[in-house]
Amino acid sequence: MRTMLITLLLFLAPLSGCLLETEDDGCVSAQGSGGEGPLRILTYDIAAFSDEMLGEFTCNTGYEIELIYADDAGGILELLLQTQQAPQAHVAIGLDNTYLQSAIDFGLLAEHDVNTTHIDPTVMERYSGPFAVPFDQGDVCLNYDEREVDGENLTIPTSLWNLTEPAWKGKTVFPSPLTSSPGRAFMAATVSYFENDEDESTDAFDWWQAMFENGATVTTGWTEAYEIHYSGGYGAWVDGHLGDAALTVSYCHSPGVEAYYSGNWTVSTSLLLPRAAFHQIEYGGLVNGGGNVEAANAFLTYLLSEEVNRNMPVNNLMQSVLVNATWPESEGYRYHTDVPEVKADLSTERIGAEMDAWLLAWTDEKNEAEA
Amino acid sequence: MNLASSKRTPFGVHPIQWLVLAFVIALGIGPLSLAFTRLWAVTGITPWEAVTQVYELPAAKDALTFAVLEATVSTVFTVAIGLPLAWAFGRYSWSRMRLKRSLLFLPFVTPPIVAAAGFLALLSPGGIVYALGIDLRGETGIIAWMASATGWEHPGHFIALITAHVWFNLSLVVRFVEPVVAQLDPRWEEQLRLLPAGQTRLGRIQHLWIPILGPATTVAAAYTFFFSFTSFAMVKWLAPASNTLESLLGEMGGTAGIEGYRVEASLAVLGIATFQTVMMLLMLILAGRFERKHSQVLSLHHEEANRRKHGAAPRVWSWFANGLLIMLLAPLVSVVVASFRVRSSNGATAGYEWTFEGWKRAWSGDFSTVPVYDALANSLTYAVITLLVALPLGYAVASSLVTLRREGHRRVAGMLDSLCMLPLSMSAVMVGLGMVAGILRWYPDLFSFPYLPVVPHVMLVLPFVIRLLTPAMERIEPKFAEQASLLSLGPLAFWWHSRGSFLVVPATMAASLCLAFSLGEFGATYLVVRVGSWDSLSIMVDQVASRPKFDPFVLPTAMALATVLMVVTLMVLTVNERARAWRVRHEV
Repeated sequence: MRTMLITLLLFLAPLSGCLLETEDDGCVSAQGSGGEGPLRILTYDIAAFSDEMLGEFTCNTGYEIELIYADDAGGILELLLQTQQAPQAHVAIGLDNTYLQSAIDFGLLAEHDVNTTHIDPTVMERYSGPFAVPFDQGDVCLNYDEREVDGENLTIPTSLWNLTEPAWKGKTVFPSPLTSSPGRAFMAATVSYFENDEDESTDAFDWWQAMFENGATVTTGWTEAYEIHYSGGYGAWVDGHLGDAALTVSYCHSPGVEAYYSGNWTVSTSLLLPRAAFHQIEYGGLVNGGGNVEAANAFLTYLLSEEVNRNMPVNNLMQSVLVNATWPESEGYRYHTDVPEVKADLSTERIGAEMDAWLLAWTDEKNEAEA
Repeated sequence: MNLASSKRTPFGVHPIQWLVLAFVIALGIGPLSLAFTRLWAVTGITPWEAVTQVYELPAAKDALTFAVLEATVSTVFTVAIGLPLAWAFGRYSWSRMRLKRSLLFLPFVTPPIVAAAGFLALLSPGGIVYALGIDLRGETGIIAWMASATGWEHPGHFIALITAHVWFNLSLVVRFVEPVVAQLDPRWEEQLRLLPAGQTRLGRIQHLWIPILGPATTVAAAYTFFFSFTSFAMVKWLAPASNTLESLLGEMGGTAGIEGYRVEASLAVLGIATFQTVMMLLMLILAGRFERKHSQVLSLHHEEANRRKHGAAPRVWSWFANGLLIMLLAPLVSVVVASFRVRSSNGATAGYEWTFEGWKRAWSGDFSTVPVYDALANSLTYAVITLLVALPLGYAVASSLVTLRREGHRRVAGMLDSLCMLPLSMSAVMVGLGMVAGILRWYPDLFSFPYLPVVPHVMLVLPFVIRLLTPAMERIEPKFAEQASLLSLGPLAFWWHSRGSFLVVPATMAASLCLAFSLGEFGATYLVVRVGSWDSLSIMVDQVASRPKFDPFVLPTAMALATVLMVVTLMVLTVNERARAWRVRHEV
């Protein structure tokens, strides 16, 4: 017993300092914004929401924060839908442009009162209505391992159809559009890609069927696809790595992030086929019927402030939405980040209207290939 | 205390006990029926109609086949290894028994994502299994040969999954079977040895050990099957090409139950969940019936005296049990090692460095909005509340069931017993949906209730508490109560001498389960949404480990948090084991 107590003390010793901290930091005194309690933010596990960042907001405004977590962007929409009659959050952060229109159509968001004039106009082109503000962005596209796609074993695809050839059999992995937002974004991109290619007899779902038949692996989320299956990413250093896929879906700036954390070194690069990249924008919005409007607007304003938003590439591994946003130069982050010239051309309204049908068609092709 | 002896209803059970029974059953049925009602309303078809459509989903068909196969194989191996271990632990004296029991229980409370990380470390290059020339992960060498010779897809992944399931469930077999061995009156064995049927070891196994250990083993096997059948995280990480019905439900669950939004997902969830619930429920009922049919009143015996009588374990048993313990610890040691190991920052010169940086980040809380000490406090608070709620509830239910059986209402008792087991047959997705769709809609303020996570914990541990206490109560000979009634004792003293003192060991085990389940955040997935400030240590581990690991310190930080969780759990379990030791010392 004595040994256990000593061990416990040793474990808890580093914590003791925390208990002795005093509060004399010149912060605005904490408030619950008109008796509505702390500001409740529905989000997924966004890395930018560090203790420090949230503490700064509370210090500056006096609004206490309580985070409510869903699994991902889709989880936020689903939770908003399931609790529509009794909203549990005041603000939702993390819906992307493949989910935003559904949220608006279902009346889940309320009008905000946030100044958006300092946001890049090209970002606002996607959605400039009153129900949501963008807070970060990035291009979802295919990434490949340069060591595998070296021109000898595999050649760099010049068309998505190349990936259905025997050489690529079993060497691709995709996060499912049913359960992953990058997966959903890339599936939307394929719709745009095949609508604009020269062959009018086939569409995106013919391609997906051909991919399933060519042994494409489908995973639940981005993490499994990138970490377990993809041979060109950091997964190679994570136990359990399979590395059986030379190509996956990630962001066009993922090679830049790889380089940033690996001393300007990466073997991963992005595949820039016209319209095969989806410009993903993540939004924040006030929950309809949620209340605590003043605090919610204050938080969205803080999220778009220079000090927070400009640091998105490092803090959240996504690009800022402010005017003149750039990728960091250090450790090859910018050098290894590609910016696609021609992205998928799909309006937010069209995505909202047709996404369910696309998902059904995708599921049918998958079931057919598996049957 | 002795409610059964005061005012009674026609069935012989006190009204308060009926109320507790009703509450426990409602706790299980409530969320499930709410979820089914919601899905029924959204899809417009009945659960039974939905079941008929399950077979049209190729993924569901494959998942069912895989789940039955892996759960069966997992159960067979778990019992085959766990039974001798339980027998050895129950029969012989062991040094540092409390510590060994606690260590044995650790796998059961390790968050699955941590366990998976531990196993992956063993299986990957640099790991012990890989070093032995067995590449279960990359499936090269002998595993590749096995695959090509048999046409079996991913045999390495299957073997890894079965090993992990055995590792996880082994303590269940020991927890259920060991006390029966330890408390068996040695005169039974001695008398049997004098009879012709007990002359040989095989004869004694056939005529003594199988009848004695059968019910407890069956219950342990049944739970092993359930846990393996509904395995989610282990399947996802160790057998990435396969699915169980539960992991399939997990993929579709979030979308289910929303009116006018992706109704096809609701339909699939309704069909698969109905099928799984009915299947699990039937198995639970069968296991319960088997246990009741074969349970018998055995005279309890001083377990320490039993062990002293048989002495220290023979060398073979000692090697077997200690060797197994070391093997059980291997994945956990991998986790500790991984907390100090970080991949080289320069990918061009691939390698690993040793550092305390993961630990520093874990303590400083860089990766979470909840500091470690808050998460630790949350974990311990939930665990203690779970224990304080589930143990008395479980006692009351077990007591009612025993009373019903003794009063001759075996059928009623059996039915109620099965209903109490209902939470085990449910999918996490369905309970989560039931919570959001029903309870939170009708009573939204509950969402702000900081102890909400305790609800699924209590729901899940109750069946186990009932399963542990009921047979133990049935084994208590009625003559103890008769003898105690002759003494002029107060109600509390009467209860203690006639019943309470005999239940210290099973109650300690039930308490271990309560604490362990709660610390391991067994029911975390039952809440489809969580409030950050409620995060417990295991949720933090899961949260950090699930993050993209571009930053090389993410994994060491997660593993450092996991190590803290393991150490705290080990301490809690060891303290709990002291209660059992106290009982043994004070036994008369």
